[in-house]
Order: sequence, then C-alpha cells, then structure tokens
Amino acid sequence: MESKTATPKPYGNPYLAGVLLGLTLLAAFLVLGTGLGASGGIARFGAFLEAIAARSHTLSSAYFGKWGEHPLSYYLVFMLAGVFLGGLFSSVLSRRVQFGIEKGKTASGTLRLSLALTGGILAGFAARLAQGCTSGQALSGSTLMLTGSLVFMACLFAGGYMAAYFVRRQWN
Amino acid sequence: MTTFYGLKALDSGEAFFASLVIGFFFGLALERAGFGSSRKISGIFYFTDMAVLKVMFTALVVAMPGLVIFSRIGLLDITTQIHTIKTYYGAYAIGGLIFGVGFVISGWCPGTAMVGLASGKLDALVFLIGAVLGSILFNELFPVIEPLYTWGQSTQASLNEPGLAFIYKSLGMSQNSFLLLFTAMAILCFWGAEYIERAKNPVQGGAYFNSPFLKSFCLLLIVVAAALFLLSPQNLETRVYPIILEPEATENTPSNMQESRESVSASQARAPMGPEELANRLLERDPKLTVVDIRPGPEYKAFHIRGALNVAVPDLPAFMGKNGESLIVIYSNDETYQAQIRDDLLKMGVTNGTILTDGLTGFQERCLKPVSLRSEPVSTESANRIRSWRDYFLSPGS
Repeated sequence: MESKTATPKPYGNPYLAGVLLGLTLLAAFLVLGTGLGASGGIARFGAFLEAIAARSHTLSSAYFGKWGEHPLSYYLVFMLAGVFLGGLFSSVLSRRVQFGIEKGKTASGTLRLSLALTGGILAGFAARLAQGCTSGQALSGSTLMLTGSLVFMACLFAGGYMAAYFVRRQWN
Repeated sequence: MTTFYGLKALDSGEAFFASLVIGFFFGLALERAGFGSSRKISGIFYFTDMAVLKVMFTALVVAMPGLVIFSRIGLLDITTQIHTIKTYYGAYAIGGLIFGVGFVISGWCPGTAMVGLASGKLDALVFLIGAVLGSILFNELFPVIEPLYTWGQSTQASLNEPGLAFIYKSLGMSQNSFLLLFTAMAILCFWGAEYIERAKNPVQGGAYFNSPFLKSFCLLLIVVAAALFLLSPQNLETRVYPIILEPEATENTPSNMQESRESVSASQARAPMGPEELANRLLERDPKLTVVDIRPGPEYKAFHIRGALNVAVPDLPAFMGKNGESLIVIYSNDETYQAQIRDDLLKMGVTNGTILTDGLTGFQERCLKPVSLRSEPVSTESANRIRSWRDYFLSPGS
C-alpha cells in the first residue's frame, strides 16, 4: 500500500502534451500578443539581484539599465511564476515530486551540479544574446515563422549534438 | 481581436494576471510531457528518448496553422497586435550554438528548469542560479559585445520593418507551401523518433510506432495544413475590397482652421504624394517612409493601406516629432480633411508630413481597382503593376 502511493505515474502521451503546449502558445499570442517566454523572466531576476548589490551601477548599465528601477514588474516574471505553479500542480498530481539530484547511477553529485551550473551560465548568457530561449525563440518565434527563430533552433540542436558526447558520463 | 501588446498594456495588472494563467498551462504542459526530468530531456541528444522533438514539433504544427487561421479569417491583425522580432543571423546563430551547448551540459532550459524546480530537482535550482549569473554576465559584457547583439541583420523587410524576416520569404515559397512542408517534415520526425526509440529499446521504446493513434494524428495534421490553401489571402481580398467608405464630413472642421490654412505659405507645404508613388515606395519597403491613417479606429480596422499606422489627430504632432527622420504620409478618406490637418501641422512647425493625393479613396481607385472593373484601356505593363499592388496591399497578415 505504502509503496503503491509513492510510485510516480508514468508520463502521458507526448503528442497530446504537445497539443496542450501548442494551444497554450496560441492562447499566449491571442491574449498577450507575444507568445511564451522564460529566459526573459530569469534575466529580470538577475537585474533585480544586481541592483540590490550595486544599485547605481545596474541602473546606469547599458542593458539592464533600460529595465528601470523595478525590473520584476514585467509580464514574463509572472509567466515564470505561473510555469512553476503549473509544474508543481502537475507533478504533485502525478506523484512525480522527488527531492534530490537527478543523475546517472555512477556519476557523482558534484559532477552533475557543476555541469548544471556551467550549462546554466551558458544558457542564461546565450538567451540574452539571441533575445530568447527555447520558449521565446524556438517555440514562439518559430510559430510566427520568423527566419531568425528557426536559425536559432537549428543552431541550438547543432550545438547540443556537438557537445553531447563530452558530457554523457553524468547519465551513466 | 486586441492583444495586450496591441494595447501597449503588457505592464498592466491584467496582463500580469493573464501571463500567470498562461504560464500555469505552459508549466502544466511541460510537466505532462515529462520535462520536469533533465534525464528525459537530454534523451534527445543520445537518441534514447525523443520526447523533446515530439512535443516541440507537435506544439509548432498546432500553433503555426492556428495563428494563420486567426489572421486569415480577419480576427487577428499580425501587423498591429503581435510582437515580432528582427532577424540577426550572426547573433542568433552564435546564441543558438552556445545555448545548445548549455542545454546538453545541464539537461535544462529556462522553462523546463522551473518545472524541474517544482518537481524537487536540486540540479534545476543550480541551473537557474547559473542562468541568473549568465544574464548578469551578459549585462556586464554588453558594452563590449554590443556589435554582436545586432550582427547580421536580415536584408529582408516585412510589414514595413527592415530586418523582419519570414522563413517562407527567405526560402522563396508561399506561406501555405511552407506550412505544408513543415508539417510533412514534423510527421517524418515523429516516425523517425518512434523508430529510433524502438531500435534503442525494443521493450518500452517507440510505443507509438505504427500505432493507430500516430497514424490518425499525422493524418489530421496534414489535412489541417493542406486545408489552409482554401483560406488563401485572395478569399479575404474579395470580402475586404468592396467596403464603401463614407466621405469625411466637411463640417467637422472649425472655421478658424480654414483661416489658418490660407496663412500657410505654399512653399512650405510638400507636394502631395500620388497613389502610384506611394504604392511603389511601400512595395520597395522604403525605410524612410511612414504611412499614417488618421481615420477612426473601426474604419482603420475594416481596411487600411498595408503597413499604415493608425494615429489619432491629437497625437499626430508628438508622433511626427518622434519620427522626425522619416517622411510621413498622412491620409484620410478624401483630400480636403487631410490637407487641413497637414496645414495645421505646418503651422505648428512640423514639416516632415505630406498627404496622399485624393486620400484613401483615390488610392483604392487608382491602385487597387481590378483591371477588369476599369473603364479606361489598361496597358499590359500597368496591368502587371496593378496586379502586384493588389497582391501586396490586399494580402492580410503576410
């Protein structure tokens, strides 16, 4: 009985999850006019934290400075909060909440966390350079059939496949 | 349909609320797909689990035609209601490569990491800390890398905006053909993904390979993409064209405006622009040209010259001051009203404006009237020009 309630439900049909994601994307265009976005909210959080550490420096900086004194007062910050809540709702419902580090059996936790940090820095930086991430560029921009967004998506997968071999051990 | 972006109200409480709700379903869909697990996400790079491919491409082949349908049936005006971004080949290619490397190293991207965090994953939290640091790093390096940020702007200009590039134009095909091609490619990817998963893991992998579900799903997708050919812009054109516009009432102009009109010296006023010249310059995407429609919002929504912005008369001086470097062509339904507006602007010292000869009525008569409805004989050359104008100005949302 105990073990039965703790068993996570298997993942559902990926195509139906894709349809739900596509309809959400469409709704974001029809209601907001912008599509979905995630890295924008994270960057706003970065601007907020940097302003706590060095207020006048951040406000006068060329990139974060444009966002003014209240960088968190931005629709993508709220969207990101929604993503967390939606993810929490679904993972609790399906008993998939599991505290810990996800990694291969033989890989060390330190290796996995340092790779997560390195990847995070690269992704956070690159999303600013490309004005979006998997959500803002690859999904939303491609829905609008923008050339640049499809170029971004192609390069994203190219970069991923090129580097995949070198970091495979974390999953062993 | 009016969006928060179209209302310039993305920073309102209502938009924040809508974003929170949309984000909820975004997170829900990602978690359902299994993207609260970095191992599952990374599977695409090792050909063990192709869920990322399946989910992303399904979302695209649902949302792409969906948006096109809303635009073609006239419910959504892409030019005014949708935020688009320019194409910078260099910046996006480098950004994409670095992002892809970061993606495979960590197993996360910003959206999925939020779902991973909600699923209790410590590595997701560490990724998010890294992404915040990466954003701060970008801000600190921005003065140095600023040229890279806008490197390689596309030479294409769409919707009157230089650098805004659409893939079907870049590939030299129609929007319909691209959508059909993209859908066909997505279906091939689905079958390929199922095949690869089955080959890697014959027991559990490729559960949908050759399944009745995947067959009917793919059939549905291709039928939707092919059906878009029925919604071609030409169908809408015939509905939009015959709208008969009421001439602007002349009594709404106070008499003191009449006086002021005389006092403006003729040398100050720019010559009105002929409809043909305007049509050609818009077709050539002249970046120094801005077209402003001063009619009331509903009339503008019903029909306007493609690329024209709707600016209310009281806002005109400020708008023209902001766009000082471009020539602004103002039009209304007929000549008289728009000439008065131009002269009033001249009196205020705003000199970068001109008007459209005979207004919108003249533009429709001279540029958009089909050859078959014209009483005068039309040379083959003019007929071709009229056809290209009609193609450009009467295609919605392209």
